[in-house]
Amino acid sequence: MSTVTADKAPAEAGRNSVWSKRWERFRHNKLAMISLVFLALMAIACAMAGPIEHFTGIDANATNLLRRFRPPSAQHWLGTDDLGRDVLLRLLHGGQVSIAVGLLATVITAVIGIAIGVTAGYIGGQFDNILMRMTDCIIALPLIPVLIVLGAVDLTKIGLSPEAASSPAVVFLRIVIIIALVDWTTIARIARAGTITVRDVDYVRAATVSGAKGPYNVFVHVLPNIATPLIVAMTLSVGRIILFESTLSFLGFGIVPPTPTWGNMLTNAQQLIISAPLLAVYPGLLIFTTVMAVNFVGDGVRSAFDPRSEAGSRSH
Amino acid sequence: MTELLRLDNISVNIPLGGGFLKPKVWLQAVNDVSLTVLRGETLALVGESGSGKSTLGYVVAGLRRQSEGTVSFHGAPVDGEDGKRPVQVIFQDPFSALDPRMVVGEIVAEPLRLKGVPSEQRLARATEVLGQVGLPPEAARRYPHQFSGGQRQRIAIARALIAEPEMIVADEPLSALDVSIQSQVLNLLDDIKQEHGISYIFISHDLGVVRHLADRVAVLYLGRLMEVASRDDLFVTPSHPYTQALLAAVPRIGKGRRKKEQILKGEIPSPLSPPSGCVFHTRCPRAEDICRRERPALLPAPGRPTQLSACHFKD
Amino acid sequence: MLRYTISRLLQAVLVILVMSLLLFMLIGLMPGDPVENMLEGNPALTPETMAQMRALYGVDQPLYTRYGHWLTSALHGDLGYSSVYFRPVLDVLGPAIVQTAKLLVLTELISIPLAMLLGALAARKPGGWTDSIISLLAFASISLPGFWTSLILIIVFSVKLGWLPASGTPLLSDASMSEQLVHMILPVTVLTFFHVGPLVRYVRASMIETLNSDFVRTARAKGLSEVTVVMRHALRNALIPMVTVLALGFGSLFSGALVVETIFGMLGMGKIIYDAISNIDFNLALVGLLLATIVTLLSSLLADLAYAWLDPRITLK
Repeated sequence: MSTVTADKAPAEAGRNSVWSKRWERFRHNKLAMISLVFLALMAIACAMAGPIEHFTGIDANATNLLRRFRPPSAQHWLGTDDLGRDVLLRLLHGGQVSIAVGLLATVITAVIGIAIGVTAGYIGGQFDNILMRMTDCIIALPLIPVLIVLGAVDLTKIGLSPEAASSPAVVFLRIVIIIALVDWTTIARIARAGTITVRDVDYVRAATVSGAKGPYNVFVHVLPNIATPLIVAMTLSVGRIILFESTLSFLGFGIVPPTPTWGNMLTNAQQLIISAPLLAVYPGLLIFTTVMAVNFVGDGVRSAFDPRSEAGSRSH
Repeated sequence: MTELLRLDNISVNIPLGGGFLKPKVWLQAVNDVSLTVLRGETLALVGESGSGKSTLGYVVAGLRRQSEGTVSFHGAPVDGEDGKRPVQVIFQDPFSALDPRMVVGEIVAEPLRLKGVPSEQRLARATEVLGQVGLPPEAARRYPHQFSGGQRQRIAIARALIAEPEMIVADEPLSALDVSIQSQVLNLLDDIKQEHGISYIFISHDLGVVRHLADRVAVLYLGRLMEVASRDDLFVTPSHPYTQALLAAVPRIGKGRRKKEQILKGEIPSPLSPPSGCVFHTRCPRAEDICRRERPALLPAPGRPTQLSACHFKD
Repeated sequence: MLRYTISRLLQAVLVILVMSLLLFMLIGLMPGDPVENMLEGNPALTPETMAQMRALYGVDQPLYTRYGHWLTSALHGDLGYSSVYFRPVLDVLGPAIVQTAKLLVLTELISIPLAMLLGALAARKPGGWTDSIISLLAFASISLPGFWTSLILIIVFSVKLGWLPASGTPLLSDASMSEQLVHMILPVTVLTFFHVGPLVRYVRASMIETLNSDFVRTARAKGLSEVTVVMRHALRNALIPMVTVLALGFGSLFSGALVVETIFGMLGMGKIIYDAISNIDFNLALVGLLLATIVTLLSSLLADLAYAWLDPRITLK
């Protein structure tokens, strides 16, 4: 522990050093770093799908029955599928969907989970009881069957016009919302547990004595102090959500063709495992490696943020 | 001196447990306590753990709502947790008292931030107050984990001072500190009292410290007031058997062995089911039948009108 | 203990009621309505007869009235007819429950000892290469999409090598025990790999904790062999909380079963629920989902009770 007079630290040194130490620890985790680079490359490659189509003049959705099941070639690096479409381009497009769903649903999950968890934890009492029974209910549900039911919901029955209900944007948002609806409980529990610990700590009481109200305490004291476990949980939930999306799309209740996703490309490949088994390999391999990489990054974040290795600061 | 704080018949009942198919149990943390604190006066609340002294301090600060009774400042009652109180709190554990994610300047300036004082102004003021508690201006830009326990307690005191309170509730502010640091912080508290004329409610179980700092002392046992007296009366001629036992338990040099009957026997009873009559009767060397039946009133000790004691057989 | 059990049971009943209402509403939001789906494609159908049928079946009434009717008859044991199978819902679900139970029991029978073995091996030297490989496997387990593992295993073992059947159930209903088992190999493998990862991570963490505890150090100091220390002392203590982990994993295992049953064409609960939703068979989907929920709830309830019963340190509040 340094003394006050020992050295003159610049204004933000303390905070910066916490984050730079975390980055330092993360950087030394080889698996996590490789995964992070892999994910970055994957994201860039997927984002390139549009430009590649533009420059090569190949349309990922254009069917050509004369060019079915072509082996890899200079033009089609991974060959073509049963409708003569370029497999690589479709994989890149599918990756866009998977990554976008993973990130967006995680953000929504986090917003719902943190709002509910922090409110329940801060207010406590009956309110907390009711909210926590609700999360118990949702945790008791077998998730995939429930996701399927939600995926089967007829949006025109809740007031959408038939055209709107089948538009790509709505189909995309629908899967994001469905997943967020069942996945927020993990983050809510973590947020609630953290809030309950911080709520009654003396520095919050001190603020209360000076006239602080609930929202001030939540935003100024509670959230910054429970950020660490929340960041870790959010990273790990990206992988889980990508798996949910691909499973739902595979089962036909997620994103439906012709929009390619890694999941629905496998639905198609399932029919063709005798004639074209490789079509079943690529999308799954991408799901697997992406989710694995996300989980390694999550694990790296977890150990980099581990309070036992946070030097000097006592965390709650 | 004029009256700053007045507590009238304060009781705090805390619900415990309870839930589905289970009745709630009520803990009487504080029971019918009335006290006053004058301007610039230091009132010490003394008692064993579980005596309700911290709870009473929290009621004064508005951190806990009393179940019954009123809290008044300058004769005007304040309501519940709301309402402006000229009070700040210093907590026991200097580690949990400071938000680890904020720099010290922000921490000290927080009461001003909550009053809407602009950022520049409040940070300048924070640096100034840090100087008053003996910390250099650079301290404002550092994080709490870069300071020792004693320094942290100074930061907490600075945060209390910046709000310019008329009263500070200090909840065992020394007990988490090393003995060598204790006297420094104690002197700081004493200086502040001389300089700013702030009243203290000083919660402690350390009678040595109390004797040093307090003007008056209130002794609590199981949430009830046992004795209230000026420091000199209480330490020289304790009236209540419980006070006498507490004083006898303080180790003093050259006093030889303590008298046997004055040492507290047995455990402190559960506050969930306090004894009947005088709550102290289960451990009192002088207890008789009446003590089990009737709760003694808080009345002047014989010949000392300002020394109040709740005992059927007070000295 | 008795009061705790009763209060938990009452809570569970309440939760089941709430869940049934929730599922009833959700399933009501699936496309079409029961009458429409039943009579679909019937050329003799006029709008008038359709309306009559709707009135007859009460479909035109508000949601809560319909839920009330459904709940009353459900409590009298009448769970309705499946519109796809034209049989009472329970007749369809009965054999499916047996099928899924077989799948899950086999999976647990393999997963639990396997997880204990791998977890104990990994915990013996945290950070060592055994630990690294096992933790890599555990990561793979939570990152692999079960439907893809199924497809790959089918391609390798059924299509290319021709060693194992690609379907989970034999064609003939009177197939011998061994034949049934052969058909279960691939599904159980997929499910085990999916299930074992979180278990291994759990056993490892809890073993590391126990191996560092005082009583294990004492056992070592007494000169007991490493195997005795691990098997007799550490593993046993690490097992108590595992009851909870197993129960909490039930929901996700059931989700995995749905996927596996669908791919391997096994007529279990998962496949029945999936088909019922795909074919908009309202009654079957509702009862199937409700049963799955009830079983998950009961398993977590049993786990809590077993935990409290096994570990004297836990006091119930």
